[in-house]
Amino acid sequence: MKILVCVKRVIDYNVKVRVKADQSDVDLTNVKMALNPFCEIAVEEAVRLKEQGKADEVVVVSIGPKAVQEQLRTALALGADRAIQIETEAAPEALNTAKLLAKVVEQEQPGLVLMGKQSIDSDNNQTGQMLAALIGAPQATFAYSLELDAEQVVVTREVDGGLKTLALKLPAVVTTDLRLNEPRYVKLPDIMKAKKKPLAVETPDGLGVALKQHQTVLKVEAPGQRQAGIRVDSVDALLDKLKNEAKVI
Amino acid sequence: MSTLIIADHDNQALNPATLSVITAAKALGQSITVLVAGSGCGAVAEAAAQAEGIEKVLLADSPAYDKALAENLAELVISLSSGYSHILTAASTTGKDFMPRVAAQLDVGQISEIIAVESADTFKRPIYAGNAIATVQSLDAIKVITVRGSAFDRSAATGGSAGIESVTATAANDRSAFVKEELVVSERPDLTSAQIVVSGGRGLGSAENFDLLARVADKLGAAIGASRAAVDAGYVSNDLQVGQTGKIVAPDLYIAVGISGAIQHLAGMKESKVIVAINKDEEAPIFQIADYGLVGDLFEILPELESKL
Amino acid sequence: MSEYQHPYRDTAFILQHLVEFDQLCADAGLTEVNQELADAIVEEAGRFGSEVWAPLNFVGDQNGARMTENGVVETEGYADAYQAFVENGWPTLTFPEDFGGQALPNVLGTAVNEVWHSANMAFALCPMLTQGATEAILHHGSDELKETWLPKLVSGEWTGTMNLTEPDAGSDLAAIKTRAVPEGDHYRITGQKIFITWGDHQMTPNIVHLVLARLPDAPAGVKGISLFIVPKFLLDDQGEPAELNDARCVSIEHKLGIHSSPTCTMSFGDEGGAIGYLVGEPNEGLAYMFTMMNHARQTVGLQGLAIAERSYQQAVAYAKERLQGTRKDGSKIPIIEFPDVRRMLMQMRASVEAMRALALVAAAETDRSHYATDDAQAISQERVELYTPIVKGWLTELAQEVTYLGIQVHGGMGFVEETGAAQHARDARILTIYEGTTGIQALDLIGRKTLKNSGQGMTRLLAEVEDTCKGLEATDGLQDLAKALTAALSDTRTALAWILDSGAQSPHAAGAVSNAYLMLCGYLTGGWLMSKQAIIATENLKTGADNSEFLSAKIITARFYCEHLLPRVKAYTETLLKGESSLMALPVDQF
Repeated sequence: MKILVCVKRVIDYNVKVRVKADQSDVDLTNVKMALNPFCEIAVEEAVRLKEQGKADEVVVVSIGPKAVQEQLRTALALGADRAIQIETEAAPEALNTAKLLAKVVEQEQPGLVLMGKQSIDSDNNQTGQMLAALIGAPQATFAYSLELDAEQVVVTREVDGGLKTLALKLPAVVTTDLRLNEPRYVKLPDIMKAKKKPLAVETPDGLGVALKQHQTVLKVEAPGQRQAGIRVDSVDALLDKLKNEAKVI
Repeated sequence: MSTLIIADHDNQALNPATLSVITAAKALGQSITVLVAGSGCGAVAEAAAQAEGIEKVLLADSPAYDKALAENLAELVISLSSGYSHILTAASTTGKDFMPRVAAQLDVGQISEIIAVESADTFKRPIYAGNAIATVQSLDAIKVITVRGSAFDRSAATGGSAGIESVTATAANDRSAFVKEELVVSERPDLTSAQIVVSGGRGLGSAENFDLLARVADKLGAAIGASRAAVDAGYVSNDLQVGQTGKIVAPDLYIAVGISGAIQHLAGMKESKVIVAINKDEEAPIFQIADYGLVGDLFEILPELESKL
Repeated sequence: MSEYQHPYRDTAFILQHLVEFDQLCADAGLTEVNQELADAIVEEAGRFGSEVWAPLNFVGDQNGARMTENGVVETEGYADAYQAFVENGWPTLTFPEDFGGQALPNVLGTAVNEVWHSANMAFALCPMLTQGATEAILHHGSDELKETWLPKLVSGEWTGTMNLTEPDAGSDLAAIKTRAVPEGDHYRITGQKIFITWGDHQMTPNIVHLVLARLPDAPAGVKGISLFIVPKFLLDDQGEPAELNDARCVSIEHKLGIHSSPTCTMSFGDEGGAIGYLVGEPNEGLAYMFTMMNHARQTVGLQGLAIAERSYQQAVAYAKERLQGTRKDGSKIPIIEFPDVRRMLMQMRASVEAMRALALVAAAETDRSHYATDDAQAISQERVELYTPIVKGWLTELAQEVTYLGIQVHGGMGFVEETGAAQHARDARILTIYEGTTGIQALDLIGRKTLKNSGQGMTRLLAEVEDTCKGLEATDGLQDLAKALTAALSDTRTALAWILDSGAQSPHAAGAVSNAYLMLCGYLTGGWLMSKQAIIATENLKTGADNSEFLSAKIITARFYCEHLLPRVKAYTETLLKGESSLMALPVDQF
C-alpha cells in the first residue's frame, strides 16, 4: 500500500511570534522554519506503518516556494521514500491546498492519506477534512491511535470528553493529533541518504488547478496584554468575578 | 438571507457552546435557523426551540446521525444549505470535524474558530496558538464558520418558541462506521493539561494542610500544583512542582495559595489565562501578575471557598 | 532551567562566508557534501541537543556521578540520552567510512560538537574523550587493533578514555611510572592514573582505556613511554565484552564544576596486572599523543565557546523577563533596557561570535592541512599550529569572562544555584586548566609557534589582517572599524617585533610576556574575523538579502567588538613592552 503524507513548512514552534508593526502579518523574516509538528507525527506514523510491513511506499507532498524542499528533505530523512513539491509563491489557503492535494491523490492513488490535524501557523484545522470531501473519501480527524490493514483503517480519535473509534474503508484520510506517536529524531546517516531520494516538482498549472482567493486577511494584531490585576475583598467577590467576568468556573 | 446553525449535542442535551454560537449569529442580524441532527434527539430540538432568538429548528432524526459522523453530517448540511448565507457551528471536535467538508463541497473557504464578528463578512480569529489575532474577510457568497464558544457569551436558553420542522435524512455513507467510544473517567486531571490548577506554597505550613487545597481542587476538577518552597519543605512530592525547574503550566485558571511568587515559580505559570492569588502578605510579588488578588488568611479562605463552590 | 537553542544561523553564516564550506568540500573531493547538507545536519543536531541533552544539564550538576561498590553510576537519564545519541549516528560524523563513519569534514564535526558542549558540557566530555581514543587507534594502531576496537568506538557503542596523568606526572609526563610487562600477545599493566575523565560509567557495555605506560627496558624520560589499549572488559572470541579486566575506578573527585562528568582515579593491576595491547611501536606513546594534541586543544577551546553561548542565551532570556523599575505610564521595565545590562549582554554576544568564528576557521584549517599539497599544505599546517594555542588559550579565558557576566546579569539570582547561571561559570572554570593550562598555551604560542620560526607564521597571519583593514576602509560605513583594526594590527606588530628582538635575550622575557602575547593575539584574530564578517554582511545587505536583520545585527556586534574588546590589544601590548621588569623583580623570600 502507498501512503501519501501531506506536510507544511511553518514557523518553528520554539519561536516567539511577533506581529509586524504595520499589522499586515506576523513577522516571518529571519525566523526559523520547521516541519509542522502535527505533520511530523503524520510522517512518523507513515514510516512506522512501512516498518511494520503494512505499507510499501511513503510519498510526502508539500506546497509552497522552493524553501519547502527543506521540510520535504526532513521528511525523507525521517523515512519517506520520495517527495513532491507543488511550487507556489506562498502557502495557499486551505481549500486551494486541498484541491492541489486531491490532484496528487488522483495521480498517486494512495490507500491512505495522513496529515496533521492543523498547522501551528494558521491553526485552521481544515485541510484534511476538505481533501476527504473533495476525493469522496471517509475521514478520521484527531487520530490518537490507528490500526491499518489491507481493506480498512480503524482510528481512535481524540474528541471532547474522551475517545471515539471509527472504522474507515480505504482509501481514507486521517489527520493526526499529538498523542498518536512521538516522532523520532533524524539520524545523521539518513540526512545524507535523504539528499539522494527523488524529489519531483509540480505546479498548480501542471496539475490543472486554478487557485482562487476565498479570504483576505485585513489585519493581524497582537493579543491583548494581561490587565492589571484587581483586589477582591471576599471569597464571594472572587467567585463572582471568576464566574461572571473571567468565566473560568 | 439567513443563518443556519448546526447544534452541538450528545442526543440528550444541547451543548451550551451552541448558545454562544447563537450569540455570534445574532451579531449578523439575520434570521437564525438551528439544525439538530442526531438520533433520538427530540429533546435537543425542544431545547433549541426554546433558545431565545431562533426562528426555526430543523430536526433530522436518524440513526445516520447518531454518532455525528462527519460524512453524514456534511451531506445533510449540504442538502439543506440553499438559502443560507452563513453556516455556523461550535468549534467542538464535532464541528471541527464535519464543517470543513461542508465548505469544500460548497466550494467555499471556512473561517475557523472565530472570536469576534466584525461585520457580516469579517471576523476575528486567533492564529499562531493565540499569539496573534487575524481579522479575516470572507470573499465567498456563503460563509462557513466555526465559533470558539469561550469567546462569546451564551445566549439565553429560554424565552424563544421556534417551530420544529422535521427534515428528510440523507443516506448514511457506507465507508465510515462507528466502532466505540470511551468517555474519560473523572479523576484529578494531569497537572500540565488541566484547565484549572490550584497550587500551594509554603504558606500552607504542612503536608496535612494540603488537604484543604485538595478539597477545593476536587470541587473545581482541578489539578494540584506546588511551589518549590512547598516541595523543599516536604509538603508534597516534587512531581507537583510548578516553575522553572518543575512543570510549566498554562491552564485557564491558576489559583496560587500561599505562594509569594518567586521568579522561578512565575516562569512556570505566567502564561495561565486567569491567575488568582490568595496570600496574607499584601506585598507578595504574586499579586503583580494576578488578575484577582485576595489578601487574607488561607486557613479561613480555603474552607469558605470549598463550601461555596 | 534555561532553554538552549543552537544559533544555527550564525554557524551557517560563518561556514558559508569565512570557511567557504562549499569550496572546502570541493577541494577535499567531498562531492556529496555541501553547505545545504551542513545546514541540515547542524539544525538536526541542534534540535537533538536542545531537546534531549540540554534538559539534563542542570540535573547532572545537582545530581552528579556517584561512586558505588560496582563502580561509577552516572546521572539518572544520561544512559538513555547517550543511547539516543548513538542510535542517531552522531558519534560517527567525522570518522572514515571503513569503520562506519560518515567521513564529513572536521569543521562540520566542530560545528556539531558546539551543540553537544552547549547542551551539556559535562556529558559531552564522554564522546569527546571517546573521539580522542578513537583517533589514537585510527592513526597508530595495527589493522588488527583497528578491526577489533574501532567499529564500536566509532559508532559510540563503547566509549573511550585517555589515561595520561599520574599523581606525580601532570604537565610533565616524563615522570610516568605505570608499568607494562610483555606476556604472550599482550601486556600486563600495573599502576595508577588520575583525573581520568569518564573513566567509568554504566552507559555502555565496554569502555576502552588508552593508557600511557613504560616497558621494562624503556629508556628514561619522555622517550620511554608506550601507548596501550586496556579495556574495562576483555573480549571473547566473538569480540563481545566478557571477563572484567584488572582495571577499575577506585574513586572520583569532588569538583567545582562538571559534576556529572566522573573524574576518576583508575587503578590498573590490583590483582596481578590488567591485560593491555600495545598501540603502534614501543616508546612512541608520547609522540602519538602529540599528533592528537592540536585537535584535543582546539576542542577544549570549542568548549569555551559552547558554554559561553549557553551562558549568553540564559542571560538574554533573564534580562528580557526580569522587570525592575517603573515607567511613567506605570509599566515595568525589563532590565535589558538598562544600558549597563546591555553592555554586559553585548560583550557576551560579541565575544561568543568572535569565538565561534575563530573556532570554525581554525577547524577548517585542519581540514585544509589534510587535503592540501606542497606549499599550501605547509602553510595550512603552520596555521593550524598557530591557531591551536590561541583557540585553546584565548577562547577558554574569554569563556570565564562571559560566564562571569552571565551571573552578573542575573544580579542576586545569579548567585543562587537554582537559577543555573552559576553552573556555567563553575563548569567553565576547568577549561583554562585541562589539556594544557593557559600558561602552557602561552608558552607554546610564544616559543614553538613564534620564536622558533622567527615569527613567520604570525607575520603571514598579520598580512591577512592587513588585507581586511583595507577591505574595511573600502566599505561604506565601516571606516571606524578600519581605524580600530589598523591600530590593533600596528600594536601587534610592535609586540611581535619586541618578542623577536628581546624575547630570547633574557631567560625570563618570553615567559613573562607570554600571557599578554596570547591574549592580544586572541583579541586581534577575533577582531579580524568579526571585521571580515562585517564586510560580508554589508555587501550582502546591499544586494537585498532576505536575512537583513541578521546581517545588520552582525555589523552592530562587530562594531561593538571593535569598540569594546579590540582596544584590549593596546593594553596588552603596553604591558608586553615592559617585559619582565616588575614581574620577576621581587625576590622569592619577599612572597
